Amino acid sequence: MAKEPITPDTQEESSETLTRRKLLAWLTGMGVFGSVTVSAFSNFVFIKPRVTYGQPNRFSIGKPDAYPPGSRLTLDARRICVVRDGNRMAAISTTCTHLGCIVATSETGFACPCHGSRYDQDGTVTGGPAPRALPWYQVSLAPNGELEVDKDIEIEQGTYFNV
Amino acid sequence: MSNQSASPWSVITELPGNIWKSIFRNPLPDSDHGRSATSFTNFFLHMQPVKVHRHSLRLTYTWGLGLISLFLFLILAVTGVLLMFYYVPSTTQAYDRMLDLRGTVAFGIFLRNMHRWAAHGMVAVVFLHMCRVFFTGAYKKPREFNWVVGVGLFLLTMFSSFTGYLLPWDQLAFWAITVGTSIASYAPVFGKDVKFLLLGDSSVGQEALLRFYVLHVAVLPILVTLLVAIHFWRVRKDGGLSRPPEEDEVFPAPAVEPIAVTAAAGATGATVAVAAPKATLTAKLQQKLYGIQGIVRGPFTKIGNVPDRTVFSWPNLVRSELLVFLITVAGVLIVSLYFNAPLEEPVNIMHPPNPAKAPWYFLGLQEMVSYSAFWGGVGIPTLEVIILLLAPYLDRKPGGVGKWFARERLLANSLFMTFVVVNIVLMVIGTFFRGPNWEFVSPW
Repeated sequence: MAKEPITPDTQEESSETLTRRKLLAWLTGMGVFGSVTVSAFSNFVFIKPRVTYGQPNRFSIGKPDAYPPGSRLTLDARRICVVRDGNRMAAISTTCTHLGCIVATSETGFACPCHGSRYDQDGTVTGGPAPRALPWYQVSLAPNGELEVDKDIEIEQGTYFNV
Repeated sequence: MSNQSASPWSVITELPGNIWKSIFRNPLPDSDHGRSATSFTNFFLHMQPVKVHRHSLRLTYTWGLGLISLFLFLILAVTGVLLMFYYVPSTTQAYDRMLDLRGTVAFGIFLRNMHRWAAHGMVAVVFLHMCRVFFTGAYKKPREFNWVVGVGLFLLTMFSSFTGYLLPWDQLAFWAITVGTSIASYAPVFGKDVKFLLLGDSSVGQEALLRFYVLHVAVLPILVTLLVAIHFWRVRKDGGLSRPPEEDEVFPAPAVEPIAVTAAAGATGATVAVAAPKATLTAKLQQKLYGIQGIVRGPFTKIGNVPDRTVFSWPNLVRSELLVFLITVAGVLIVSLYFNAPLEEPVNIMHPPNPAKAPWYFLGLQEMVSYSAFWGGVGIPTLEVIILLLAPYLDRKPGGVGKWFARERLLANSLFMTFVVVNIVLMVIGTFFRGPNWEFVSPW
């Protein structure tokens, strides 16, 4: 009565022995798991665009003459503010570093209409929830005499381009 | 019987009846057997139990909130598919199509109203449903995972609403999504990538509109449907809606269970209780009772030895569901008749509205974001979701199930009530007390 019931399968194969059946099952499992992982990853590769159809990040802003000394002109479509101080020029981002709204120019610098962030003339944060200063972008002179701004290259605040 | 002498004439006269009877194989029931058959021979009704506990039918227990959520989802699916016939996810056309819905498409404005108000309603009702489940302790064992599925449905509802928000391509749409996706970019490690994947570009534009459209009309509804199916299936498998334990409840079983056997020796054949000789077998039996279709685990409608507190689903449950359906549809229709869905100016990238506000259910989030983008937009919401998901695994005390605001659950209910009140207060501040530049303003 008290004897253990005989279970042939478990008696013959202890959990440590590797049978052909177990190996095949394990390989199949890993194959399925691997395929699923690779497909899931491929989907992310697929939906990450290789080209974007929006505005280019490097663009011309016209000849330096268009910006009189001492002017601060905002190019809303490009989301930059072109600053000319004497013969020195700079392009400051007008995209709020908080949540991406377009900052408006104010008497003291820039102010964001969305959550009340404020910046001074150089883009340094003076109030509100913005976590960091407005970035400055690289300005250069193209061979055709027009200024080029590259929004992919951020430069240190206060670095001007001499025209 | 009459088949034997089927004359051509009777084939004609009996045709409508025969077609009807081939579709609805059960006549309107007038017996308990018939009422059972009605439930399990009909595709739609067989998703429900044949008999349902009286407690599940109490309006003041559920307020029908889960059902209303489902019906709002169905309304959204139907009106959404209809709107798809006229909508084009293109930055140059989307807004014009909105105007066409107003001006030229028959019932266009009405369908858009229904879709918009049902969406608002669904967010609110799903949230209220979550509150109901929490305050009645309905997420406790064995329903822990169904609570998790429910939280998933809540998040999907919010995300569906968020993706739908961009589609009209008006000022509100553009700036709400600009702010919303910027919040996502504050998430650590993957934040920037998530934003780029969502928008398909570095800022909101044509790619973002197309992506949000695909998510809104295909990916998210399919996920919601799948989770709803799991949600309902588990309700059935967990023995219906949660309810308080009954005094004569068989479960949970006492440690030593006497089983009733017919005493073979007794000439009278009297039933006597003897201590179970095979404790393990008895324990197994207590875990399993025979349902109509086989062995079912857990609490199950018992037969015979206890007072029957169940009623037939046909007509009791079906009638209640129909009533909730009618009220939901009527509510959406009435609101859609009297209030038009807002449509602002077309997108103007140069001029953000001031203040730029998200829809009301995101204004609590936006209010928190105005203090800190990371903590308000990512940190605290993520913590809230994690705690919500883990709630049934953190609160393991078994008592207080099936009753609103049970005394045993004072701590858990107080914590959840705090969570609800804080979020509602933030929402109210964001909605009524914030003006230009997100400055504090008085609504009066």
